Formats: sequence, structure tokens, C-alpha cells
Amino acid sequence: MTKRAWPVLLPVCLLLLGLGVTRAASGQQTPPPITEVNVQQLGPQRLGPLPPVVAPPNNPPSSAKIHLGKQLYFDTRLSSDNTVSCATCHDPARGWTDAGPTSKGIRGQMGGRRSPPVSNSAYNPLQFWDGRAASLEEQAKGPIQNPVEMGNTHEVMIHTLDTIPGYVDAFMRVFGESPMTVQQVADAIAAFERTVVTTDSRFDRYVRGDHGALTALEQQGLEIFNGKGHCTACHWGPNFSDGRFHNIGVAEKDPKNPDQGRYVVTKNPRDMGAFKTPTVRDAALRAPYLHNGSEPSLESLIELYDRGGENLNRENLDALIVPLGLSPQEKKALVAFIRALDSLNPEVSAVQPIPPAGLPK
Amino acid sequence: MKKILTITLAGAALLIFFSESAFAIPAFARKYGFNCNMCHVAFPKLNDFGQRFRDNGYQIPGQAGLEQTVFETAIPIALRTTAGHSLYNSTDGTTSAFHLYGLDVLAAGVLHKNISFFFVYTPRIDDPAADYTGPGSGNNPSQLGAIESANVVFSNLVPDKLNLRVGRFEPAYQLLSSKRLYYVQQSFEMYGFAGTKNPFNFSANQIGIEATGRFPHGVKYALGLVNGSGADPKNNTFKDVYVVLSETFGKGEGQSAGQRVGVFGYLGHQPTVSGTFVSPNGDTNGGENRGFSRVGGDISLNWRTLNLQAMAFRAVDDRAFNVVQSSSDYTFYGGVVQIDWAGLPNNRLVTSAMYNWVRPPSNDDARRTDSYSALGRYYLGSWQAVNVALHGEYTRRASGGASGLKNNLLTVLLDFDF
Repeated sequence: MTKRAWPVLLPVCLLLLGLGVTRAASGQQTPPPITEVNVQQLGPQRLGPLPPVVAPPNNPPSSAKIHLGKQLYFDTRLSSDNTVSCATCHDPARGWTDAGPTSKGIRGQMGGRRSPPVSNSAYNPLQFWDGRAASLEEQAKGPIQNPVEMGNTHEVMIHTLDTIPGYVDAFMRVFGESPMTVQQVADAIAAFERTVVTTDSRFDRYVRGDHGALTALEQQGLEIFNGKGHCTACHWGPNFSDGRFHNIGVAEKDPKNPDQGRYVVTKNPRDMGAFKTPTVRDAALRAPYLHNGSEPSLESLIELYDRGGENLNRENLDALIVPLGLSPQEKKALVAFIRALDSLNPEVSAVQPIPPAGLPK
Repeated sequence: MKKILTITLAGAALLIFFSESAFAIPAFARKYGFNCNMCHVAFPKLNDFGQRFRDNGYQIPGQAGLEQTVFETAIPIALRTTAGHSLYNSTDGTTSAFHLYGLDVLAAGVLHKNISFFFVYTPRIDDPAADYTGPGSGNNPSQLGAIESANVVFSNLVPDKLNLRVGRFEPAYQLLSSKRLYYVQQSFEMYGFAGTKNPFNFSANQIGIEATGRFPHGVKYALGLVNGSGADPKNNTFKDVYVVLSETFGKGEGQSAGQRVGVFGYLGHQPTVSGTFVSPNGDTNGGENRGFSRVGGDISLNWRTLNLQAMAFRAVDDRAFNVVQSSSDYTFYGGVVQIDWAGLPNNRLVTSAMYNWVRPPSNDDARRTDSYSALGRYYLGSWQAVNVALHGEYTRRASGGASGLKNNLLTVLLDFDF
């Protein structure tokens, strides 16, 4: 047998191995170096209450700066036709995002992606779905000159604000210099956004020791979230996000023109179709889901994960994505737990838009 | 030495206990804050995520270089033990006793980017009585003190496609892992079976080097070069070689999702004449080496939380190892069919049924074996860990055909780790 079996087995193995190598070589390129999020600082971290927000040294917060940032956040005059403000797409009443499925900018133009939530974005190491901005300050500058979003230019926007005496005074009070700059606008908006933090939820109360804060079903959901559901593989840490980018097999709305996601920034083939992990906090307020709003409900989102993503190009699917085998009861428990992450922070959930009459004149 | 070991273990246990007592769970789960069932269908059986984590050198896929090393985390030590009661009945009589079935001391983690280690120590267990030292010989404890695993993994030498594991390790040709089997009392019969004079043990861990990798479309391979098991001490200069190839169809690794098929082959040599030359390490130049082989395959099919696994292989030991009929090779075959199901939220309940068979040569029919096993495990725990299993297991085993030995083993135990 020793002498008989090996001449048969070995060629079969080598043939199959060669087949794999050939198929691999045809589809892969050497990825260029990319700037990665330092997960060592982010995590792996346990689920738990959020720590205090840390502001960058070059943009220390002050109450005047935060107030100015809030005014700018709700001011449609930042857009070219005075119809779109930051809050248009990052609406406090909608979990600090939009109605979806994707964002609507000036003249009713539809963007290709959904607005990422502003709440808890202070904890994101990179901003936008594809991480192209390294800070909230950098992010705040982007939509102003995006032709589909606010459709303005930085120069015209500054000129507009410079004609409003109330803003001129406010910028002088906050920054102590004139003329105002785009960087100051971005700094003020970012300072305000760092106050939009949801530190209290029934989950937070539970992990702080209030064992009655979660129902039995929600506790079950928490266990599945951290176990069989594999959710914490990406949604880890206090903000329920690893801050990284994953291709989870989202259905493309236009398969002929797929959204390349993080690849556009890094040019790394492994980032093709990868998008940033969003926080799960307040997720129940933010339907529809995913970067393109393709999942209308938490239930359908969990179904997507349960089947291991859509049947797309399997080679680029994140290795963390596998079918889960969840039962109906487990899915129900997961939804219940995610709803227990709704914030109980009135200072965040009750933020009211500043009406035009309340803005600087 | 024993005192030093005791102090070391006690110290390690205290460190674990006081450093993060709220997360008193095994090393990897403790590191990440994950529940056990992130990586296990239910411990100890790995799910697809856990398999990928293991394949990637105990690094979360995509995170090589960003992992916290063992120098930045709590001491990565974990313990697993099983203790309970067995009722044994055979044609010779009936016994029952409490037992400590096993104790593993595990340590594992990332040393540097793409360099990790895995270590398992099994202390000697004198059982069932505290001063028991074995039937007659005084040399047969229920568990030997041994370094079961001690290996370093060099991952992603070619990304995904080449990893090297060096040291003592569980070889990849055990396509169904006997180390991560739900069953505590019953293992795979074929893994522990060998020709009448061949000391090779298929289920034993090996010392050597193993290359593994994966390619697109679910193709995985393993190639190994090892001393071979069984000879004590290693007493020839031949190395045993093996090759494993598997492919998974559909999403997953075939552990808990996707459908996997695999084949393996092992070619080994054992000396039939003792050596005369001994190295400082104890290996000798034993001679008159004779070959043996194992060739087989496995299949793993999944549907939701139902997993059907089957494995079978054919074994041939050179006639020199055949004391029953020295004119012919000792050829035998056998395998296992196992079906596992997981239920209740977060797989808190698992059940399993397993059938093993071994078919030795017809002139050695006394070793013919059939065994039927079933088990149920219910896990206690919380969102942080489900690490205590209430375990009930039954096996009916028959050997030697119709007139041979039949026995029944019923075991109820606690299986826990932290």
C-alpha cells in the first residue's frame, strides 16, 4: 500500500495545489503600503462606557467656540444656494444622519453614500466612510466644496460669512484674529461635534452594575453580539467600532459601477469595497443601514450578516465575515440589544436646530 | 522542581485572578474581551472565525502587526480541566468512580508581528485515588506530565499562502481535531490504532516543522516534516513527511459554515533494530527501518448549526511490524462519522452523536472495533464568557466481533476553563 498509494496521491495533491496557486496569481497584486489605523491604541478593547473625548492640542474647546460651531453647523448659508447645512444630512432628529438611503445635497442631488453619524464621531480615528479625512476638522471642510453636497467653494463661503457682522464678531471673540479662515470654520464645527457624545444608554448602566438595566432578552442579545454573532470582531470597544475598514459583502446598487470604498484612498486591492465600521450606539435611530443605505432595517441588516454577506466577489470579502447560523430567537435578541444602545443623553438627543432667526446676522 | 512549578502556577493563577478578575476567561478571549463563542461553536470546537484566527497565527485576520503582543497584555495563561463521575460496565464487571480526567495549562499569544506561540502543559494526574500510581506497574497515571504543545508560528511569510509552525504541535493531517473534540472520554478510534508492533500514534502531537497556507477559492494545504511519534526516544534518522489538501465550497472554512473536503497522506519510518550510536539529545541510529503510511480524507458539511463530519483512512504498516502474520503488511482501515448540533441562544447547548469503526486484517479480528457515542453539553456563563460546561457522554464499544468484548461508559462531568 505504501508503494501503491503515494504515486497516486502526490500528483493529485500537487495538481490541486498548482490550481490554487495559478488561480491566486491571476487575481492578486502586491498591495502598496497604506496608512493604517493604529488599532493597538483603539483596541482590541472591551465593550464598555465611553471615555471622555480628547480634543486635539491645536483645537482646544471653549464654550464660545462650541457655540459658534453649533451655529455654523445649523447654518444653510454655508452652501452655495443657502439650502443645505451640516444638519441637513447629519440631522439630530435622525440619529445625526439623514433619512437615506443616501444623502441629498443642493438642488436635490443625491449622493452615492449615506451620511455617517456625527454622534460619537469624535472617537473615530479617520472620518468619512472611506477614511479620507484624518480629523473632524479636516472632515468639516469637505462637504462645503463637494458639488453634490453644499456645492460651494471655501472662498465664497468665507466671503459670505464675512458679510455677516454677527459671525465677524463671533470669530473675533473665539479666535482673536481677522480675517476669518476656513480652518477656523472647521475648528469651530469640529469643537461642537466633539460635544455630540452619547455616554449613557441602558447598556452603559448595565455594565456599570445596574443589572436591571437590560431585559433578559437584551442580555441574551449582548452575549450573542459578543459571541456567536461575531459583531465585536469589528464593533468592539466603547464606541462599538474598530475604526477600520471592511468589505462585508454589501449589495451594490449599481453593480456595473461599484463603490470602491477605502480603495480610492489607499489603492490597496484589499481595500476594494471596504468601508469604515460605524458605531452601533444609537443605531436603531439610523435606518436605513450601511454606506449605501441598502438595508432598510436592523432585522434585514442582521440577515445580511447571518448569510455571510451577499454573493459577491468572495476573494475580497473580509475574512471576518462568515455565515453565522443565527436562529430567529438570536436575531430577535440582537435587535433588542442594539435598541438598548439608544442614548439616554438629553443634551444630545434633544438638540434642536437653530432656526434662521437665531443665527448671527 | 515540583515546588518551583507549583509556585509558578500559583503565581500565574493569582496574576490572572487579580489582574482582570471580571474577565476570568482564557487567554485569547481575555485579550480581546470576546465571548468564547466568537471563536468556538462552543468550546472546544472551533468555528470558522476561530479557524481563521488560528490559521493566521493567533492574530485576527487583517490585523497582523496591529495586535497587542504578550508584552502588552495580561499574562496569557489559561487553564482547562474536566472532572466528574464515570460508570463503566463491561462483560467483566461494573465500576464507577469520580475522576479528574484532565488538566491543561495553556499559554499562547503574539510575540511580534506575525510571530506567535502556543504552549500546552499537561501535569501528571494520579487518578482515581489521590495516591494512585497505576495498576500494578505504578507507572500508569491517568494523565502523564508532558509538554503537549510548544511551538512558534511564523505567519504570512507569503501573505496567507505560507505560514511555518515549528516545535511540537498538533499536525494538520488530523483533519478532524482530536484536541478540540466535544467528547472527553471517547476519541477517534482510528487515531489511537496502529499495527501490532508499530509504535506510531496518529493522534499524538509531532515535533518538527509544518508549512500551511491558503489560496483563493477555499484551497488550503499543509506540508510537514516531523520526527514521527511513538518511538521513545526517537531512534532513527529518517523524517516522516505528510501532505494535506482541502477545499471549502461556499462561504466559511467548513468548520461551522461552508462544505469542506480534504485528503491527506502520511509516510513514516520506524526502525526495527535498536541503534548503537546515541547523540547527546538521546536520538539513536536505529536501523532496519521499515515504512508505514496513512492515506485518507475527510468531509465536513454544514447546514445552519448542524455539522456532519466524516473521516476515513487506510493504514499500511510494513510486514516487519506485523506479529500476527509476518508474511504480509498489516493493513487496516476505519473512520468516524460525527454529527453535531448547537442550539439555544449563543449555542449554549450542543449535542452530538458519533460512530467509529476500525477494521484490522481478518487474521487479527480481535481488534476489530465499533463504537457508538452520544453527548450533550450545556454551557453556563455570561455575555463575557460561556466557559463552564455540564457534560454528559455515553459510549457503547464493541471489539472482537460477535463474541468479543462489549462495554458501556457513561460519564457526567464538568468541563471548565478560565
